[in-house]
Amino acid sequence: MGRVNALLAMCAGILLHGAVLAGSAADEVAVADAYARAVPPGQANSAAFMLMQNSAAVAHAVVTAASSVSAVAELHTHTMSDGMMQMRQVARIEIPAGGEARLQPGGLHVMLIGLHSDLAPGSELSLTLTFEDGSSKQIRVPVRRIAMKMMPHKMEGMQHGKMQH
Amino acid sequence: MSVTGHNRLALLAIFLLIATLGWVLLYWSPAVQTTLNLRERPRGGDFVLDSHAGPVSLQQFRGKVVALYFGYTQCPDVCPTSLGFLSLAVNELSAEELAGFQGLFVSVDPERDSLAHLQSYGAYFHPSILGITGDKARLDPIVESYGAAYRKVESASAMGYLIDHSSETYLIDRNGVLAEVLAHGTPPVDLLAALRRLLAQPQ
Repeated sequence: MGRVNALLAMCAGILLHGAVLAGSAADEVAVADAYARAVPPGQANSAAFMLMQNSAAVAHAVVTAASSVSAVAELHTHTMSDGMMQMRQVARIEIPAGGEARLQPGGLHVMLIGLHSDLAPGSELSLTLTFEDGSSKQIRVPVRRIAMKMMPHKMEGMQHGKMQH
Repeated sequence: MSVTGHNRLALLAIFLLIATLGWVLLYWSPAVQTTLNLRERPRGGDFVLDSHAGPVSLQQFRGKVVALYFGYTQCPDVCPTSLGFLSLAVNELSAEELAGFQGLFVSVDPERDSLAHLQSYGAYFHPSILGITGDKARLDPIVESYGAAYRKVESASAMGYLIDHSSETYLIDRNGVLAEVLAHGTPPVDLLAALRRLLAQPQ
């Protein structure tokens, strides 16, 4: 009996050690360039965009999101199909090992549904991202009015190639 | 002398007729029928829908260049991007050019988009953009005539149903004729150039 317990403890120790070495997804995924779209008064929804970079040798994924300004936050994407833009909820947003996931207009985004108040440019909201291993990360997201000035070329993030035709 | 002259003229006429007929038979093929169908060549046309201030008809904007877009206000990304691009282009217009412009945002989600909300939604992007809608029976023929498309999709999202929709911007000239169909994501500079082309045309 004592031997079994010792074995279990050793196993647990090894697992724990492994987990510490691997780090949590929240530690290994860095979020940059986050912003949420300012919306007209009375709008029920908005969207948040960002760049997620994974420094780990294993893939991570965001599985849920929650925000300080909306009843619900969901993971969504856009695809172009039958000549129509389709928005669909997705179960997770994968960030490949050593790679990145870009949430941007026309593609992946965090949908903020049921806004408690108007999202005014210059304000800030808090977004909690929860990863596949249960770890989570809270980020500050500035609210911006998108497309403020003339762009000589297609806005970054509007390339058709990113829309998964 | 005059008789032979007439004969020559008649012969020449017959020859030209045959030559023309031959050329038509050999080379003229109506490209419209082989490469395009009606769906790909939207005819556009007049319509009447509702705004917060009462009925709005396309006809009342004769003399102006109209930019027409079909969407819905709960659309979190595609519609605001398209209207944002349009507003950037319109912001570049001179006061004189702006006087000759009207934007129309047609909501294909009359169930959720009130006329009051459509008014503020359009104006948020630019005061010259008017939000309008109508019931499905009135919307569908308009959507079809412009070659647009939409469909309601049930979803598990907290949003309830979603709407898939085409995202072209339709430019209508001063005479009410559909002149240009701009693809989704057309950059503001290209939108501006297209608007100016149509604004430069006399009515």
